[in-house]
Amino acid sequence: MLSKTAKEQLIAITGKDRFSDAVEILTCYSYDSFLEEAMPEAVLFPVSTKEVSEILQVASAHKIPVTARGAGTSVCGAPIAVNQGIVLCFTKMDKIIEINTPDRYAIVQPGVINGELQRALAPEGFFFPPDPGSMNFSTIGGNVALNAGGPRCLKYGVTVDYVLSMEVVLASGEVIRFGSRNIKDVTGYKLSALFCGSEGTLGIITELTLRVVPCPETAQTLMVTFDELDNTAKSVSDIIGSGILPVAIELVDKVGMNALENALHQDLPTEAAGTLLIEVDGIKESCEREIEKITDILKKNHAVSIIKATEEADRNRLWAARRAAYGVFAKIAPDILSEDVTVPVSKVPEMVRSINSTIGKYKLKGGVLAHAGDGNMHPFICADRNDKEEWAKVEAAFKEIFTDAAALHGTLSGEHGIGLAKTQFLPLVMDEASRKFLTTIKRAVDPDNILNPGKLV
Amino acid sequence: MMDSNIIKKLEEIVGKDSLTTREEDLHCYSFDGTGKAYLPEVVAYPQNTEQVSNIMKLANEYNFAVVPRGAGSGMTGGAVPLKGGLVMAMSKLNRILEIDVDNQIAVVEPGVVTGDLQKEVKKVGLSYPPDPASLKYCTIGGNAAECAGGPSAVKYGVTKDFILGLEVVLPSGEILHTGARTEKSVTGYDLTRLFVGSEGTLGIITKIFARLLPLPVHKETFLVESTSLKAATEMVAKILNANITPRTLEYMDKTAISIVRDKLTNPPPETVEAMLLIELDGEETAVLAQTERMKALFAGLEDFTIKHAQTEEEVNDMWQARRSISPSTFNLRPNKISEDVAVPRSRIPELVEYTEKLAKEYGLIILTFGHAGDGNIHVNMMLDRSDIKQAMAGKKAVDLLFKHAVKLQGTLSGEHGIGISKAPYLTFELDETTIKVMKSLKQLFDPNNILNPGKIFPQTAE
Repeated sequence: MLSKTAKEQLIAITGKDRFSDAVEILTCYSYDSFLEEAMPEAVLFPVSTKEVSEILQVASAHKIPVTARGAGTSVCGAPIAVNQGIVLCFTKMDKIIEINTPDRYAIVQPGVINGELQRALAPEGFFFPPDPGSMNFSTIGGNVALNAGGPRCLKYGVTVDYVLSMEVVLASGEVIRFGSRNIKDVTGYKLSALFCGSEGTLGIITELTLRVVPCPETAQTLMVTFDELDNTAKSVSDIIGSGILPVAIELVDKVGMNALENALHQDLPTEAAGTLLIEVDGIKESCEREIEKITDILKKNHAVSIIKATEEADRNRLWAARRAAYGVFAKIAPDILSEDVTVPVSKVPEMVRSINSTIGKYKLKGGVLAHAGDGNMHPFICADRNDKEEWAKVEAAFKEIFTDAAALHGTLSGEHGIGLAKTQFLPLVMDEASRKFLTTIKRAVDPDNILNPGKLV
Repeated sequence: MMDSNIIKKLEEIVGKDSLTTREEDLHCYSFDGTGKAYLPEVVAYPQNTEQVSNIMKLANEYNFAVVPRGAGSGMTGGAVPLKGGLVMAMSKLNRILEIDVDNQIAVVEPGVVTGDLQKEVKKVGLSYPPDPASLKYCTIGGNAAECAGGPSAVKYGVTKDFILGLEVVLPSGEILHTGARTEKSVTGYDLTRLFVGSEGTLGIITKIFARLLPLPVHKETFLVESTSLKAATEMVAKILNANITPRTLEYMDKTAISIVRDKLTNPPPETVEAMLLIELDGEETAVLAQTERMKALFAGLEDFTIKHAQTEEEVNDMWQARRSISPSTFNLRPNKISEDVAVPRSRIPELVEYTEKLAKEYGLIILTFGHAGDGNIHVNMMLDRSDIKQAMAGKKAVDLLFKHAVKLQGTLSGEHGIGISKAPYLTFELDETTIKVMKSLKQLFDPNNILNPGKIFPQTAE
């Protein structure tokens, strides 16, 4: 329990308005998009680095667990306060401090919504490439803490590739700053790499300098159907192998497409065994040339239909179904478990086959979506957690999927993070010495284990 | 000091043929590109990871320093054995273990020469983009340790962007595997990027999983002459904002031009204040389209002349100008202070202006050239160290240069690293707490401070 003294000290920092321990408020901060829930003892809404630092000093003194939280859209349980303590909610640190297009950076507070940053950049002709499915509500701080990805990361890279500099508050309350506004910077250790993706277990991010890039002048999108899933997956590895780097290659299987059509009624290709959504961008001339080459590859792999969209409205229509996927699948059954195992791209056909055969073997409702171009698979299973027998099958199926991915030189998570969800599977992809070493780092940086305990390591 | 007992144990680990204590050999491993030299006591050439691990265990037991070394072409003293001890030469760990064409990955040992890897992957239609100037002799292990850059960074990024995973031997001798063979991985902390650029102070890289790209099939090269330095640097931004992404966007100032003038078939007129070397690469249609656009940017501008290379000979001639700068500097004065500060691109004119001011005030010859596309400017200060006044002036000017670069929101080093030459200036850029955290990581990884001691961090603070 939060002691009276601790509570008073915390309120002295934020004031009563930005501190709450009322059950009805705490409940709102007890869950994310994963399955677990845990009630924190208090939630605080800091407005400055100074406040975050002071809160951590109090937390350190009383050894109170601190869990940072953006929008709570994580799908791996990262912002769940499993050891209780306090949740630091960043919704009030949501300012875009500076946008500098000549030097191509933006300085933001962690609570800025990814989509808002995009909207602020668009009039300048710039964008911030990471585009997680949750981009319209997830925060940049959360994106950085989890090293979020998204469809266009195939061409543009993931969040860590866009973090130039960070301000971080350590467990002790000390504030550190590293990196600069420069794309090239080898001054000291690359701490941004360590803190980005550390899931709030090493420090609390309070300010970010991000690299932004000019919007491509044109983009073209293809929607392609196949009557065999193997051909679908083979097309992906052939395109990547040919030297073309599209913005995105998304794969949706038959189960997924039918679920989407049932919910959205958009005349989607429900008969297709596999559908690809492929987008290229850049200068007009090269887009056209790339689309030609891709079309050749698709035909060689027996594509059944190819729809091309050039206008933004048409492209958005093709993308709408894919973007709605998670929400739609989440309604198929009371619960959904979606993972993001990632394999080398040549192993995509094998991994898709293996996921489908596993889901089939356990007679579960599910399928596979994928950011297929970079091998980042999203197998999903819809089930009812209260049905113990069924849920045991879900867990067994995912264990097999993780094991199969590891055997194909893959990794457990491409973009969601480990959080609560996958810690038990780390041994599949990481030897003991390497795992032990992660713990050693965690202990050194956060000796009292107050920062987001129970996650990642 | 290393007694015969330790030497014997080392011989047992690597074999008698793979160890030397002969003074003439030791001298060869005492220096790097900085010219600073410290003699090691022994040089060992491990042939596998286990040997590297066993050497580290021995080093911990007997408390001697270990300095990993690739080709010794570093620019900041990263491979110099400041505290004596053992130099671990990686020249026998030089195999390309695998080139996975389907997944565009190469698995290599650290001693592989960067240029050799590029040649090998080219045979199967792939490329490894990072291209430090030393690529014909530097090693990929050294590149990873320093996070080397190069002209192509403006389009492709630096070494860290091309390393997917590592095998690393920790100072304790433990063997660590980081990263994955996938483009995306968020499984655990990102140790790969922490080791890359750590200058051999946190662990010894024994295997590298490098990311490859398809080989660009087409290339066009241009040399731009400008009568205004300011206009030239502003043009850099204009090019990049016109959706043109050159693989090379190098700039050289008037002093740099003056020293290479006699090496050029077509030297520029005396009125030229700056030159840009621009190269576009990629798929042919895209390159040709970008060529048209770039030419359009220069159309009608009196400050500029743009030359478009039509033959391979002309391409080489254009590169000759850029490549001759470094070696020609010594015609000016016998000694050089070479820095590689980086500033946000829009601040380049201010930085260059400041170096001109420094040159005037301190009686130095200063030339600036380099990677204008990413703000990474090479500042070469030429001086005669035997003249004590010049030596002092050089020291003072470097001090001021770093202060000014940081003031312009820049950084001390874009690609060379900190090593020993920039360690005293680290506090200019990083605050005390941040340095403390970095040092605590060093302490955590290497509690006995045996791995490449004396690098990165200011000595006085120890």
